[in-house]
Amino acid sequence: MILKFSLRNIWRQRSRAIAVLATVSLGIAALMIYHGFNAGIMNQYRENTIRARYGHGQVNTKGYREEIWDKPWERWIDPASPFVNDLRNRPQIQYVFPRISFYALLNNGEKTLSGAGEGVDGKIESGFFTTLNVIKGKTLSTEEDGIILGKGLADALKLNVGDRVTVLANTHAGSLNAVDVYVTGIFFAGMKSFDDTFFRIQLSKAQELLDTTQVETIALGLKKLEDWPEVEHWVNSQPAFEATAFNVLDKVYYQNSVDFLQAQFSFIFLVIVVIVILGIFNTVSTIILERKGEIGNLRANGDSHKEVMGLLLTESLILGLMGATLGVVFSYLCNVTLLANGIDMPPGPGITRQFTTFVELQLSFIPVCFLIGILSSILGTFMAARRVLKMPITELLRG
Amino acid sequence: MSVLYDVKNLNFSYLLEGVKFEALKKVNLQVSAGEMVTFAGPSGSGKSTLLNLMGLMEQTQNDMIFYNGKCLGLLDETAKNTIRRFDIGFIFQSFHLFPVLTTYENIEFFLIRQDIAEAKRKELVEESLDVLGISDLRDKRPTQLSGGQRQRVAIARALAKRPKVIIADEPTASLDQKNGEAVVDHLFGINKKFGTTIIVASHDPMVLHHSPKTLYLKDGELQSKAGV
Repeated sequence: MILKFSLRNIWRQRSRAIAVLATVSLGIAALMIYHGFNAGIMNQYRENTIRARYGHGQVNTKGYREEIWDKPWERWIDPASPFVNDLRNRPQIQYVFPRISFYALLNNGEKTLSGAGEGVDGKIESGFFTTLNVIKGKTLSTEEDGIILGKGLADALKLNVGDRVTVLANTHAGSLNAVDVYVTGIFFAGMKSFDDTFFRIQLSKAQELLDTTQVETIALGLKKLEDWPEVEHWVNSQPAFEATAFNVLDKVYYQNSVDFLQAQFSFIFLVIVVIVILGIFNTVSTIILERKGEIGNLRANGDSHKEVMGLLLTESLILGLMGATLGVVFSYLCNVTLLANGIDMPPGPGITRQFTTFVELQLSFIPVCFLIGILSSILGTFMAARRVLKMPITELLRG
Repeated sequence: MSVLYDVKNLNFSYLLEGVKFEALKKVNLQVSAGEMVTFAGPSGSGKSTLLNLMGLMEQTQNDMIFYNGKCLGLLDETAKNTIRRFDIGFIFQSFHLFPVLTTYENIEFFLIRQDIAEAKRKELVEESLDVLGISDLRDKRPTQLSGGQRQRVAIARALAKRPKVIIADEPTASLDQKNGEAVVDHLFGINKKFGTTIIVASHDPMVLHHSPKTLYLKDGELQSKAGV
């Protein structure tokens, strides 16, 4: 009976129901979209970090990253070792990227500048590292003599796609060595220190330059980000190796930026939640006050406080549920229409280029939205009804 | 006839903008079961206050109203709710029908609250519709009814509860002469047919003219118990 009466009240008092539904659904849609916007930015930062430089994580010999070694090449990894083969066969690992990083001088025939180089397997890496933002030419792939370098470094050396450049470095025996390469592409990652110094050549060229057959690091591309703890645990259980996640490798750019943004977003999110809750409270309270005559009639005819409260709370539960559902649907509709092309963003912390972010609505957040919508509606009703029920019946009947 | 209401030296006051206002002063009266009584008097005379106290809608201040031998002031909220639910039917000046329910559902609503079985409810509602002559309005909602029709629905709703007493506060005040007379006729009819005690507060001369027993109130004091 209560349910039937509540549904009638909602269906037949449409303007009243629409006011509550609009407040709850718009509030919930705002929360969903804001949460999705945050998730979009965070995921973009994460994907940029993973797919521009580090992969999901890297493997080194134990202690290699924490300590400074006289002869670091003695701690490098044999890419043909059983351990690397085992890595390739792990079910969670999709790509294995052997790498060497080194400092070198780059000479364009007129000018020499220092840079931070990395030898990579371009053919494999070009399929995974897709967010380096190559602005001229193309990323390093099968070009044996290719080099891609940051925009700042390219500008300083006045290099363009197709230009020749000589890379000079010390072999591990200490003698100076050089290789000639051609500019395949120029990238603009948006991180100044990176764009001004960084370059990549083929791993085979780097090994030739450093006179080694080994690799310094093995970056990993996983099938799923969630698999990292398992992979990390397996690598760390090997006596000679250790794994480091991308967020540790890039603490300054990624983790600090994400922590900073997260703190900011959490505060704004809290403000939005408070506004949404107060908005819902205000609407449902106003509506309860408008129903004093009806409440008085129920009381006059023998309904107890508890029974009237039950009736009002049932209605607010239904409205909260409907409002939250509409809000979630509305947020998805907005996302595939108004927000389909993303939102142009100014450069964020740690980067110098603009980017477009997409609102990534999170299914996992829907229960939270329902909880906020329903609880606000119920609590607002409860508080207003408690106040109204304290009034004498005669006063209620006067409306 | 047994005494349904026994009011002894009833006083009632309330504060109006900080000033104490004596709404009822030492009111003494008895209403027997099956009687029809009208409280008459000008606005502010205390007739509605008396009605509200007898209908348990206002808390008594000196515990001087006895209903069926029970002192109303000593009853807890549950006991009062039970009396209001089963023993009293209310008719208000502004009808207080549920706008979202049809005529039939409005009349049925408080029967459901009484936990009456569906078949019995149907019987009671149909009889009330029939007595008030509004069977053809059963599917209409209050907004589709005239003032007179709405008041008849309100009477039917009060009647359907088969209460011991029907309390009607200014039942004709919102109605024209013709509809007002119809309402009074229905109240008399119910009183005679079902033996329901009916207590009305009104200053409508037409109601007073037809009332078998009228008690006049002036400035909170009962002027006379004489019938008209």
